[in-house]
Amino acid sequence: MTEAIYVQLLYLACGAFLLTGVLVLWRRDLSAIIRLFALQGLALGALILVLAAYQRDLALALVGVGVGGLRAGLLPYVMRRALAAAGAHRETRPLVNAATSLLVAAVLAMLAYAISRPLTQLAPGPTIRAVPVALTVLLVGFFVLVTRRRALSQVVGFLLMDNAITATAFLTTSGVPLVVELGVSLDVLLAVLVLYTLTDRIRASFGGTDLDELRELHD
Amino acid sequence: MILVGVWYVAALSACALAALAAVLGPARGRPALVGTITVGAGALAAVAGVAAMGGGGWQAWLPEVLPLAGVRLAIDPLSGVFIAVTGAVTSCAALYGVGYAKDGHGPAGRVTQAAVPLFVASMLLVPAAASVSTLLLTWELMAITSLLLVLAEHRRRAAVGEAALWYAVMTHLGLVAILSGLFAFAASAGGESFAQLRAAELSPAMRSAVFVATFVGFASKAGIVPLHVWLPRAHPEAPSHVSALMSAAMVNLGCYGILRVGLDLLGGGPAWWWLLVLAAGAVSALYGILHAVVAADLKRLLAYSTTENMGLVLIGLGAAGFFATAGFDALAGVALTAALLHVVNHAAFKTVLFLAAGSVLRATGTRDLDALGGLRTRMPYTTGLFAVGALCASALPPGNAFISEWLLLQSLIQSGSVSGLAGVVLMPLAVAVIALSAGLAVATFVKAFGVGFLARPRSPAAGAARESPPAMVGGMALAAGCCLALALAPVLIVPALTRPVLAVVAGTGVSARDLILAGGAGAISPTLIAAALVLAVGAVLALTRAVMVRRSRRVARLWDCGAGPMSARMEYTATSFAEPLQRVFDDVLAPENDVDVTPARESAYLVRRVAFHARVPDRIERRLYDPLLAVADDVGIRARRLANGSVHRYLAFGFCVLTGALVVLAVIE
Repeated sequence: MTEAIYVQLLYLACGAFLLTGVLVLWRRDLSAIIRLFALQGLALGALILVLAAYQRDLALALVGVGVGGLRAGLLPYVMRRALAAAGAHRETRPLVNAATSLLVAAVLAMLAYAISRPLTQLAPGPTIRAVPVALTVLLVGFFVLVTRRRALSQVVGFLLMDNAITATAFLTTSGVPLVVELGVSLDVLLAVLVLYTLTDRIRASFGGTDLDELRELHD
Repeated sequence: MILVGVWYVAALSACALAALAAVLGPARGRPALVGTITVGAGALAAVAGVAAMGGGGWQAWLPEVLPLAGVRLAIDPLSGVFIAVTGAVTSCAALYGVGYAKDGHGPAGRVTQAAVPLFVASMLLVPAAASVSTLLLTWELMAITSLLLVLAEHRRRAAVGEAALWYAVMTHLGLVAILSGLFAFAASAGGESFAQLRAAELSPAMRSAVFVATFVGFASKAGIVPLHVWLPRAHPEAPSHVSALMSAAMVNLGCYGILRVGLDLLGGGPAWWWLLVLAAGAVSALYGILHAVVAADLKRLLAYSTTENMGLVLIGLGAAGFFATAGFDALAGVALTAALLHVVNHAAFKTVLFLAAGSVLRATGTRDLDALGGLRTRMPYTTGLFAVGALCASALPPGNAFISEWLLLQSLIQSGSVSGLAGVVLMPLAVAVIALSAGLAVATFVKAFGVGFLARPRSPAAGAARESPPAMVGGMALAAGCCLALALAPVLIVPALTRPVLAVVAGTGVSARDLILAGGAGAISPTLIAAALVLAVGAVLALTRAVMVRRSRRVARLWDCGAGPMSARMEYTATSFAEPLQRVFDDVLAPENDVDVTPARESAYLVRRVAFHARVPDRIERRLYDPLLAVADDVGIRARRLANGSVHRYLAFGFCVLTGALVVLAVIE
């Protein structure tokens, strides 16, 4: 693979990664959000595969396939099951509406570029220049966590952050060891399973998964 | 010399062994086993300390013990003083503790038994620490183990929890101050070992900031006004041998810290540092003894007396630092010798007094002097030993506190040669403070001994008191023996202090000989004074006896204004004894008296009941701490509104703080 094609493919994957992350803010249909999340998982896997192909590293390619499989296949599957069980398919009235959310996402992107300037200056290269993209997705994920009411969209926000952290790890280092990535992925899977169970319980106990209705529980 | 290291490591190992025995040993006989090993540890530590004072040094560097920083230990003559004092106090208190835990009176549980040797070990480690991280680690270990011990009796009295809370907060605020000071010091010195700190070149402002921060932290441990509030709470509520350890050994380490950082690591500084120390010491001495004189709770009285004595030590330290910066090394040496001698003396008599107070508490179940009395016949040993301690504490000639305070006075009086306003105005003021506190100390301990032990019992509990077990009496007797030795033969100990003093005061041109007051008007011989006193008392007794023998004896009723027979209610109480003094110092103490009159059924003249409440609240606590606590409470209640239970709000807090921090970062870049 030539240098130019490598950079183009890398930026394509990063662009897809960012776009799917921002679009999560736009859609209110929960199944669409899960679909977007799956697409983002694919973009992340592709990103790692591009890196592996450029470095001619088989282990990294395996990690890429594994990460893609987990985030585009297994996690969306678990969430779809949770959604089917919950029955409510739409995000009711997010705390910040879609248009404002997209504006905030733009501001967050600017912030991410501003804060990662020292990083890019440290070692200018195609991968490092893509780090702000990952940081933007991280902030967007946090924003989803703050503004969305449904338990399931909260899970997606959490997973967006995790995707972004993984992407940052692969972009800033020259490949994360298999063992580390395996451990992280298992952790994420476990967290999602726990959240799935918890969502189920919340729904069974209170008849809904709108987290703001649970505020009476404090104290 | 290697010997110091051997003794020291042996002492630490014995502490570890004792803690292990407490955890693994059988419940039956646990206090005896742990106590015996701890007595040995104390003795070993005392030997190590004395050997270090004699000039032996020891160093160790253990990089594996603590990740990243490693543990660095070094014993020099100055650490030797504090190690020796801690060791001696430990031996007495541990021996006493064996008896104290008997019959379910004291704490015999696994945790409290293990905490005592660990507390001792941490107190032995603090003066030996030779790097910032080691000092802070051992300091915190000391705070935590002592906190555990203060909490030992929390199931019996509700006040214990409150006292421990005060102690925990104050000691940790002190730690924060020390930590920030020393970290700033280490950061600008470019290394954290004491050798690197000594060699560091710092800007004057930085040096002053480090000194003030560490001074505040160490002063809070030493119970210096206005940071003393934990002391009169924690000391009374801790088990008595723990009170003795805390009051006689732990608070000293606050003085050690000031000395180590101020004079050794920072190498002295501007005169105002030391005038600050001196002023804090003077205020503490007066405030402490004034509250001690009006206190009716025996252990509270002793705790306030600790504040007073630490104040006196700080006067000595302040004077020493001031003289050293002014270039009067010989005077500085005398003042510092006096301060260190007072540390030793205070440790000796405060151990006796706290142990004896614990013995009384164990026998009668009360610390209230107004409910005690009449213990002389029922608890003869405790009474006798408390008398020794009280005599030593009251700064009168045959006692040991007299010697160190005399030495301190001499160093201050001879400061006339130091020019400048401070020398002319402040030193005479400090002399007056010492004289006044010595006078009040006499009244305090006359009250404590006279009301607490003599006359008739004022409550049934005091009337039914029984003497403590032999181990407790042994512990007290050991400490009282140290008191007497220090009182009669200070000549033996003062020369041993010259090396530690020379280690800190620059020492150019000062020889050990100069530190002994060169004849002059100030020279006294405690042994001769004691001998003269014994002779005088003997002569008076012999004379009265000779006169009395000539007259025939007859038994008659004591004159009682016809109201007789005299009852215990007619005796002086602690409150009434202190009342005149309380009147004199009314403006300072601001006592609160409530008279509550209940008339008998609508009659203006017939009174059914009169209730009188008198208490002397700690004014500093009232004025300084209560408003602060009220503000903190208020903020806490208001802050509850921030947490309304919404998950989104909590997440939003995190999000806002994160993005806010990032924006600040981006702007700064």
